[in-house]
Amino acid sequence: MSKAIKEDQPIKVFTAKSIITMNPSLPRANAVAVRNGQILETGTLESMQPWLSRNNHVIDDQFTDLIIVPGLIDPHLHPSMAAVLLPMHFITAMEWRMPWGTIPATTSEDQFDQRLTEAMVNPTHQELFITWGHHELWHGPISKSRLNTIEAERPLIVWNRSFHELCMNDGALEFLGIKESDVKDLSQIDFERGRFFEMGLGYAIQKLNPYILAPEVFKEGLTKLKQVVHFGGQTTIADMAVGLFDFETEVQSQMALYDNKETPFRVELVAQSIALSGTTTTSEAEAIIAKLPERNTHRLKFRKRVKLFTDGAFFSQVAQLLDPGYIDGHQGEWLSTPEQFEEATRVYWNKGYTIHVHVTGDLGLELAVDVLEKMQFERPRFNHGFTIEHFGFSTPEQVHKLAKLGANISANVYYLHELSNIYANNSVGFERASSMARIGTSFREGITTTFHSDFTMAPAQPLMSMWVAVNRINEKGKVMGKEECITPQQGLEAITINAARVLGLDHEIGSIRAGKKADFTVLAEDPLEINPIDIKDIRIEATVFEGKVFDIKSS
Amino acid sequence: MIPITIVAGYLGAGKTTFINKVLKETKSPLGILVNDFGDLAIDYDLIQNDDGLTYSLANGCVCCKLNDDTGAALESIKNKDISGVLLEASGVAIPVKIANYGLSWPGFSLNGILSLVDGQSIESLLHDKYVKTTVRDQLIQADRIVLNRYKDGIQEKLLELNSEIYTDQEILNYPEFIQDSFLSKKVVDNFQENHYAFKTSSLISKESIDKDQFEDFLSSNPHIHRAKGWIRDQQDKSWLVQMNKSGCTFIPCAYQTQNRMVFISTEPINFQFI
Repeated sequence: MSKAIKEDQPIKVFTAKSIITMNPSLPRANAVAVRNGQILETGTLESMQPWLSRNNHVIDDQFTDLIIVPGLIDPHLHPSMAAVLLPMHFITAMEWRMPWGTIPATTSEDQFDQRLTEAMVNPTHQELFITWGHHELWHGPISKSRLNTIEAERPLIVWNRSFHELCMNDGALEFLGIKESDVKDLSQIDFERGRFFEMGLGYAIQKLNPYILAPEVFKEGLTKLKQVVHFGGQTTIADMAVGLFDFETEVQSQMALYDNKETPFRVELVAQSIALSGTTTTSEAEAIIAKLPERNTHRLKFRKRVKLFTDGAFFSQVAQLLDPGYIDGHQGEWLSTPEQFEEATRVYWNKGYTIHVHVTGDLGLELAVDVLEKMQFERPRFNHGFTIEHFGFSTPEQVHKLAKLGANISANVYYLHELSNIYANNSVGFERASSMARIGTSFREGITTTFHSDFTMAPAQPLMSMWVAVNRINEKGKVMGKEECITPQQGLEAITINAARVLGLDHEIGSIRAGKKADFTVLAEDPLEINPIDIKDIRIEATVFEGKVFDIKSS
Repeated sequence: MIPITIVAGYLGAGKTTFINKVLKETKSPLGILVNDFGDLAIDYDLIQNDDGLTYSLANGCVCCKLNDDTGAALESIKNKDISGVLLEASGVAIPVKIANYGLSWPGFSLNGILSLVDGQSIESLLHDKYVKTTVRDQLIQADRIVLNRYKDGIQEKLLELNSEIYTDQEILNYPEFIQDSFLSKKVVDNFQENHYAFKTSSLISKESIDKDQFEDFLSSNPHIHRAKGWIRDQQDKSWLVQMNKSGCTFIPCAYQTQNRMVFISTEPINFQFI
């Protein structure tokens, strides 16, 4: 029955100037035939005659002057964090290209004040105006009095780029009912300056949560993320830690907003093991995770995957480092004890899971490598997909070991672009800063390597990640660690077929060949032929998700 | 103000057992906050406290988790009739960082940090590839160390890191140990090496300094949280300067050939006036 229906559907053939298939057996084509969301054949109009002569078909030539690549994949971002951030007004030191317009880089104190003043003339947002992206190194010290000169009455909040600090004007303090008498003499709240950081920030967030986590604001954020994902040319993303703040809210709201025909992508959902409510042991958490696939829908799926953590956040300089550590001598942090990490890994390893581990520093990586080695000794597994997520600092020897142990790497290469200059000067010195995201070595070792945005840590634009990895140019325009540059071919592999492998979906997506899902990203220019320095500026014209075209309006 | 006492120490140091002993011996009701982040809520289940006064926390870094469980727990416990809070830190917590709740959450104060130590395993932990610096910080930052499972020669080893070493019974003999300021305040001293939000700067110079002007400088820079050192004034007298949250003192001291000051602040300090 279903077969009959399928055969009744006409075949659609997309033609293109060139199709980069990422299938090594047939790397280039200029036509691809699709039916029921699946690729029937890749090649030329001539070579696919055996299909076309026997079936109804239409030739769709809307992409005939364009380049088709496999639908781009971001294997690690956080929709729930993005949903909180996207309703905020961006004023940042880096340019952000958004579907609703490009947000220019704001690189000085005066420029920051000017942009904020402009934004406050006609604030887009409800009763509470929040801007995100302030960074002292570019925008100067922030204080209540500085904000009050821009706007004293209407509530205004400036949230730091790192998320670790915010500053309020008089209006915001009054709006949230924060009085000097409640917070004076507290070490991480500076009422005089309107600044809240670390634990003091926690107090501010308690007061802010009714507004930033309000259902309608959260929904607005998730809707905006949908546009962002499409705009970046992505047809598959992974939520790489469901349960960051509330497991049920995150799952239910994504299912409500994304599981419909208007969504041009699928979402792979990977639960984090810790903090699953009501569990006291890893085994109990595993029992819950094992049942999650029962909730799968067409676009949103849980699989036999789990997210674990070793060391602290890269942006906050609490990655755990091997000697010689940080220049100023401060220490990184562990997110759980090494014993607990090992035990959790063992539970999931022995049950056959694919384990994704958040790892930022080289000591954090040392732990992940040692534990993986132990697991392989205790109970060897092939093609287990154990994946190092983030891959900030590493040593070449560790990368070699990862190859021997069969691990994958999912790197946030944008670290290199945004942070390598500051970290060279203020954190770890030039040698280690220039070799963060050591992906040249990773490719040479034959490791399946992909890139992610960890959005909102980096823009959700795989072509941007590819550009960084190929050129390794930092925000100052300087090439950092040129031996770790990769070729455009490798860069494109990373954001297509390798990303699919890391998510265990390489039999379905990641390349353009007969039998795979018809997911494409349509580009104005050829990313393998263009000058590599222009890769990030290639215009994305449209995406195709399971055969259906979704145009991208250029902004 | 409700005093918060931090109970720190590595996995297996005996934190939960200690807290249960305190609950047994203390008459007044206590709030117990257990940070099991990464541990799953094992310790929470083992706490034997009156219903409603024990909270399980799962804190991550604020940049990747907007729910501040500790803050939420403090808010909800604030108006209950309790004489203090024991905050059981996770096994890998940096105590001074957690102690910031006592310094920064409205309605609470910091009593101090107790770090528990398993005498049998501490030496190997201090040499452990992964956690040696974490464990060392837990010892150095403690106002008092509570030594469990005594082992010959272990006190001598620990004395290299911290002089305040007690048994749990010695602590429990003073039920008032949970009160505000019962433990000495080591915390602020430790910020400098442990907290990236805090910057350490020093001033070393030969020229004399106007003492009144220097005092004004200290009081007009609220982002300076702590200052300590020696200055020599224009009358060629030397002073030991100590500044913390409660104020600033100048004590005459032996002659100094140069000014030597260390500052802990949340922003870079502008020394131009000097």
